[in-house]
Amino acid sequence: MKFFLYFSEILGRDVLDDKNQVVGKLCDMVLRLNNEVFPKAESIIVKKGLLRKEFANILLEDFQEVDGELKLKITRDQIKFQRQPFVSDFSIGQHVLDQQVVDIHDKKVVRVNDVHLLKVDNQLYLAHVDVGLRGIVRRLEWTKWVDVLVRYVSPKSPYLTQEELVSWKNTHVLNIGRTKNVVRLGVGREKLARIPPTALAEIMVDLDIFEKFSLFKVLNADMQRKVFTDLPVQEQEAIICQMEDQEAAILLEHIPADEATDLLLTLPKDKTRTWMRLMQSETSKNLQKLLGFSKDSAGGLMTTEYLCLGKDALVKDALQKIKDNVDYPGSIFYIYVVDDQHHLLGTTSFRRFINAPPQMPLAETCYPQQVFVRTDDGMEEVALLLERYKFSAIPVLNEEEVLQGVITSDDVLEELISLTWTKYKDQL
Amino acid sequence: MKTFFESLRKSKAFKNFILFLSVMGPGIITANVDNDAGGIATYSMAGAHFGYALLWSLVPITLALIIVQEMCARMAVATGKGLADLIRENYGVKVTFYLMAVIFVVNLFNVMAEFAGVAASLEIFHINKWISVPLSAVFVWILVLKGTYKSVEKVFLFACLFYVAYVISGVMAHPDWKTVFQETIHPRFQWNLGYTVMLVGLVGTTIAPWMQFYLQASVVEKGIAVEDYKHLRLDVIGGCVIAPLVAFFIVVACAATLFKAGVSVETAKDAALALRPLAGDYAAWLFSFGLFIASIFAASILPLSTAYCICEGMGWDAGVDKRFEEAPQFFWLYAVMIILGAGVVLIPRFPLLKIMYLSQVGNGVLLPFILMFMLSLINKKELMGEFTNSRGLNVITYITVVTIILLTLMMVGFSIFSF
Repeated sequence: MKFFLYFSEILGRDVLDDKNQVVGKLCDMVLRLNNEVFPKAESIIVKKGLLRKEFANILLEDFQEVDGELKLKITRDQIKFQRQPFVSDFSIGQHVLDQQVVDIHDKKVVRVNDVHLLKVDNQLYLAHVDVGLRGIVRRLEWTKWVDVLVRYVSPKSPYLTQEELVSWKNTHVLNIGRTKNVVRLGVGREKLARIPPTALAEIMVDLDIFEKFSLFKVLNADMQRKVFTDLPVQEQEAIICQMEDQEAAILLEHIPADEATDLLLTLPKDKTRTWMRLMQSETSKNLQKLLGFSKDSAGGLMTTEYLCLGKDALVKDALQKIKDNVDYPGSIFYIYVVDDQHHLLGTTSFRRFINAPPQMPLAETCYPQQVFVRTDDGMEEVALLLERYKFSAIPVLNEEEVLQGVITSDDVLEELISLTWTKYKDQL
Repeated sequence: MKTFFESLRKSKAFKNFILFLSVMGPGIITANVDNDAGGIATYSMAGAHFGYALLWSLVPITLALIIVQEMCARMAVATGKGLADLIRENYGVKVTFYLMAVIFVVNLFNVMAEFAGVAASLEIFHINKWISVPLSAVFVWILVLKGTYKSVEKVFLFACLFYVAYVISGVMAHPDWKTVFQETIHPRFQWNLGYTVMLVGLVGTTIAPWMQFYLQASVVEKGIAVEDYKHLRLDVIGGCVIAPLVAFFIVVACAATLFKAGVSVETAKDAALALRPLAGDYAAWLFSFGLFIASIFAASILPLSTAYCICEGMGWDAGVDKRFEEAPQFFWLYAVMIILGAGVVLIPRFPLLKIMYLSQVGNGVLLPFILMFMLSLINKKELMGEFTNSRGLNVITYITVVTIILLTLMMVGFSIFSF
């Protein structure tokens, strides 16, 4: 009694009825899609005929055994054949075998060469997917010959012993979104939550647009924002254009304002306008302001997300402000002290006031010297100041000394990296 | 003046034109690579050995080329996947493996043809192929694997202006335009082996199987959106008209010079004579330059696109930016393509021109099978959505498939018969 069998071992095999006569050939296996670790096989699809193909969906209960032989309990009259192929929510042939899936453990996209089924009490469960060379050879039915050959040439070859199986626990199916009856979105969400957003963003780059979107839709809102922020602008553009306007507006509202501006600048004007209208007025006002600056000026680089307090604020107010904003998308390391007209009076950092007495005015903890850039300063200026004063963020003022936003060092880095890349590419 | 530019910028036609320019590329580039060493050899021989008698075939071939390439571009836009990917996902690993094996062999012959083109073109300058072929193989290897290809592509494309030489030479040779016109619109079939083989070769070189994979891959890579599809279609159709137009003039130029003089094309030197009306004594130089550029251009693309396509189908990692351990299959395939392709050409007394021609006949035999896969894929509603083929396109493509298969069978029949 075997516990495991490969789908390739039964794919295309004859299905026999109770009198041991051939009914047809196994062509697919329908699985139940739920949140269980290993999806259970529900039915087997049998195909007969060469030119006039007919299909039948036979429940797994009706099988006497599914292993060495595919034998039915029922008579052939009980099987109903139809001309139309069966379309199911989730089957090995349509959604797993030969398709691309995400290997969550190794954080990459792989192609499924074979499927490893677990057999318990005459029930079949999808346990692993095979992504290795042995899987391909098995599908080609060459295992015997290739093994003999490899053993002859190099007896110690890893090919002979190495099965490249990925547990179903660590697999995420991609192409389900393509068919009409979209599977419940919750499925797979927990699995994907184990991949860091940065790695997920890297995986997304390798996928085609439909797979990208189907993977993206599965993520929860928080994860979506994180992954989205990590994607290159072209990829962001591809994804957001597939979304409903309302969804897109919400997403744009929740990612850092400077990321949103970079993206909006590359999109067609009418789309930008529609989405801005759908956003909450405060966010869209901020974005509107950022959109007005040229892309490589300080105004274009900055984000409007920063923490500021009035000139009478105390150290304890500052500590409270930071506590209230731990989830804030902008930097919470610096607090800017401003007057009623939002003129910048001073900059203070967490490091400078954390040990100060709570009743001390915050203004007294400010840096002795005002360091800032103007909205029309270039990126080089910003980089220079950041490096000279070892700041991780720098405030941006307009001509009237009014605080407009801040630039964080990673924004500058991002811009510099993409610049270096373009230069490097031009040299090639 | 300012208002003029403003109104120009705002006009719809101008906007469309700008969009067209930004989408332009895949179709035109593919069309230019299409006229590779094998192409030049086949068209030259067609003109030199059969005169104008094959001109008519270029009309249906152009039509088929447009339809086939448009289908590829449409599949790329609708699915975002390459052709090998789609075949694997819809027909399984078994079918994919055997198909890829055949594609590998046929494309290997094409690569051989490209290196044969290098050898033949430089032999005119008395450069021994033992020097020219290994050097160009190394050149291609470095060019592609060091990632410098993209910047050289524009140089290649510019050099493709060389084909204008055939147009001018064709006109200057004063062909009998009335006959040319009559032969173009009036199909006449010759029932013999040479003629059918040449016909299959013409189909195979103009609608090469690897082009379909290459075009679809480049459209996917460019990430063209569904909304921009109509601009892409213009680009593809444009390319599909240019390629056979060049072929037409090569045939005319060769027919008006070589066929008239009764020269049988055995070496590149013979083929070069077709450019005599334009370049006089320098015809050989001009031809050599053109053939060399065309060969190197295609030799840079073909091994790489084949390795990509096979890895895509088999699910192996691929990419020139990967390390060898990350994508061993990809680098092996690429290396074997180049080393074997260039190596075979070094065999003494290797029939350079003949291989260039016969590799295209191989293309022609493989083509109907690729077309059948494409037809089946493009009619899948769940895959293509609203982009499935119309009835008319299906009928024309089926006719193309059946015609090529019939031609191939006739070719086999004639060759058995002639023994």
